[in-house]
Amino acid sequence: MARRIDGSMTMNGVPASLRAQEPETRQLGVDFDSSTAKICLLVFAGYYLGAKLGFALTLQPRPVSVLWPPNAILLAALLLTPVRIWWVVLLAAFPAHWLVQLQSDVPPGMIFCWFISNSCEALIGAGCMRYSIQGPVRLDRLRHVAIFCLCGVFLGPFLSSFLDAGFVALNRWGQGSYWEIWRIRFCSNVLAALTITPLIVTWGTRGIARWRSVSRWRFLEGACLLLGLSVASFSLFSKMASDADAALLYAPLVFLLWAAVRFGTRGAVTAITAVAFLAILGAAQGHGPFAERPAEQNALFVQLFLIFRSLPLLFLAAIIEERDRMVETLREREERISLATESANLALWTVDFSRGESWMNEKGRALYRLAPDEPLSREFFLSRVHPEDRLKIDDAIERARSSTQSFEVEYRLLLPDGETRWHIARGRYLRNDRGEISELMGVAIDVTAQVKANLDLRLQREEMARLSRVALMGELTASLAHELNQPLTAIASNAAAGKRFLVRGSLDLEMFGELLDDVFSDARRAGAVIHGIHQLVRKGEEDRRAVSVNELILEVLRLMHSDLLGRSTTVETDLAADLPAVAADPVRLQQVLLNLIMNALEAMQQTPAPSRRILISAAAADGFVQVSVRDHGIGLPEGDPDKIFSHFFTTKPNGMGMGLTIVRSIVEAHGGELGAENVGDGARVFFRLPVA
Amino acid sequence: MGAAELVCVVDDDQSVRRGLRRLFKSAGYAAEMFASAEDYLARESFAVPICLVLDVRMPGLNGLGLQEAIEARGGCEQIVFITGHSDVPACRQAMKKGAVDFLLKPFDSDELIEAVNRALERGKETLRKRAERGHARSLIDKLTPREFEVLRFVLQGLLNKQIAAELVTAEKTVKVHRGRVMQKLGVTSVADLVRFSQNAGVSPAGAAHRTKVHYPA
Repeated sequence: MARRIDGSMTMNGVPASLRAQEPETRQLGVDFDSSTAKICLLVFAGYYLGAKLGFALTLQPRPVSVLWPPNAILLAALLLTPVRIWWVVLLAAFPAHWLVQLQSDVPPGMIFCWFISNSCEALIGAGCMRYSIQGPVRLDRLRHVAIFCLCGVFLGPFLSSFLDAGFVALNRWGQGSYWEIWRIRFCSNVLAALTITPLIVTWGTRGIARWRSVSRWRFLEGACLLLGLSVASFSLFSKMASDADAALLYAPLVFLLWAAVRFGTRGAVTAITAVAFLAILGAAQGHGPFAERPAEQNALFVQLFLIFRSLPLLFLAAIIEERDRMVETLREREERISLATESANLALWTVDFSRGESWMNEKGRALYRLAPDEPLSREFFLSRVHPEDRLKIDDAIERARSSTQSFEVEYRLLLPDGETRWHIARGRYLRNDRGEISELMGVAIDVTAQVKANLDLRLQREEMARLSRVALMGELTASLAHELNQPLTAIASNAAAGKRFLVRGSLDLEMFGELLDDVFSDARRAGAVIHGIHQLVRKGEEDRRAVSVNELILEVLRLMHSDLLGRSTTVETDLAADLPAVAADPVRLQQVLLNLIMNALEAMQQTPAPSRRILISAAAADGFVQVSVRDHGIGLPEGDPDKIFSHFFTTKPNGMGMGLTIVRSIVEAHGGELGAENVGDGARVFFRLPVA
Repeated sequence: MGAAELVCVVDDDQSVRRGLRRLFKSAGYAAEMFASAEDYLARESFAVPICLVLDVRMPGLNGLGLQEAIEARGGCEQIVFITGHSDVPACRQAMKKGAVDFLLKPFDSDELIEAVNRALERGKETLRKRAERGHARSLIDKLTPREFEVLRFVLQGLLNKQIAAELVTAEKTVKVHRGRVMQKLGVTSVADLVRFSQNAGVSPAGAAHRTKVHYPA
């Protein structure tokens, strides 16, 4: 089954693949179905009628065949059918051949010999073409036309004519020398193969069905063309005096070119066949320019005239068809690209340096707010770009100019209506054969939506981190209250003491100065605490700077002082001296430490008070500063210690499980990493940040 | 006043200590500062009324711990707690154990002074009571064991005859012992005898125990 679907077309133009779906019967190992029978019938009828036509187109008084259609019809049949059933086609042609030759009183031996030579011609032509052209033969392609002319038109008749002339000589049939017979047969077969075979193949492959879909105007044009061609040819070949100017022989050419240009291969082939018939008919009836010489010469003259007329026409038609197809393909591709650019919001542009032209697609003009007829220039483009990004674009383009690499650049557009859009552009310089820059082309895509989404996401993350800090503050209320109340208590006490001294009049100025100094420093201390709290809970952009990890740790411990006392927890520190600074946002880094220490405190709730110890160490290694918090608590979940950093993982009954997730996101945003492990009777959580 | 009474501040925060030192100085108190509970306990006990101004949260032994330690060693310091943030359980525990007051930082200094005064008064009262008891006890210690027994039966409200029966002796003998007790303790009536004995912490003889009970000095 599958092998039958080789893309070949049947004579009536129905694709083999459709035919393959029909029910079929198997006999003698061959698929015989209704269409095969139809082919046989058509071949039989075609061969028979073709032979009759061939006889009709002989020039009197001596019967010299100008055009011998049966062989061409057989060739066309073989080209249109799969190789598998060629023998069926030949078998169908045989009775027609026999019948037609018998009517001409040809002896049976000669009939049989001729059938062999005729079959050979068709088989040589079709075989060679099938070998050269994989798949169906399409005479609207230049390569196929060339192969057809070489194999079907030249090689087949050329080789088989030796056989034919040999058979004639062997059977002592007819008059004339071997070469004369060879020449007559060769020429008549070449002409037939050049006109009738393409006619059948083109109409057979393209299908008559499609012809119905053409417009009324085209149909009218075709009719006019046919009429004009017929009138011109008829008046030339049948009505014109035989000694008229040879230039008039070009009259039908106008219509032939018209057919080729407007109707392609099929039009050209149909027209040339019509011209051929009219020319031969005129010559056969003794009219026109091909009637004044002896019959053989006239025949040769007509043949050469028609051969040299149809050969270039066939190529011309194929070239035109190919060009049309190319135009169509280009148009389709352009449509596809334009559809793609439309739907992807792509701006597409080219700058042709050799012609000094620039082009940009409609979408692009819309994106850049460029009127359809406004000229493009780099200056104009840069004027649309946000001033801060102009240098970046210039740099990227200049870098691409000196290399074959394409460039990619992200920038903001500042549109005339004040809107800001984010774009990403990619482009490349194209070079010609000599390596010179010929063209710059690129695409730009509007990524504003994505950028905004990212921004929103970042803001959400910021807000989440901030809320987490607020929650931390909530957990640290004892510490915060304590930290704030200590200096306030001192201030209040000092103030009260000062007033009492004043009231009593026992004013010791030196002591009073000290008192005020203490008040100032305590006020500063209270202010610092409030500032710290404010920093932790306020909304704000990330602000990275060089941060001393040791100082930060001590600051956090100061902040948590009271809570650590309240939980009877001792904190030991092991901070390496001369630790390099890290580039970090101090507030977020504090958040990380606060979270880790709170986590350690939580883990040690069941630990007896004397054993509640936390060791915080900081050390530098391999360009990183590593900080670890080690506790003596319940330890981490078995198996996957890092699980504590995932969303919603919590061991606290009222915890959200967000704290350590945020810790991770903060550490990772700083280009660091985070880890956790069980050690001895507790856990160690550590993070490392790159040195600033 | 003068050195007759003392305010001791125990707070781990230096600013608070400095402020309070000045405050007490301005109010005319003798005040001493301690940075931790351990420091305070390391000092010899004072023989004067003491008000302890004590922070609740401190590294090492915290305020409540110090209160317990003082109680355990029989100190009579009166305690005013000061704390950085409201801590109801701690407050309850402190008050139950006899703290004079529990103040939230930052407090009104007059309030603190007032609480300190109260504490010193209470301290003085405690010391006075303790001195009285000491005197009473020294007199009671001079009684013979037999006389002490008779005293306890008297406190129980028994008649001489009943006491004689209890002690398996003559009523006359009991009478003599009783007279000697009154004489030694310097009282003239049974009512005075009962009050004196209560001050000294002597309990009446009961059926359950008839032995001499030890009382802290």
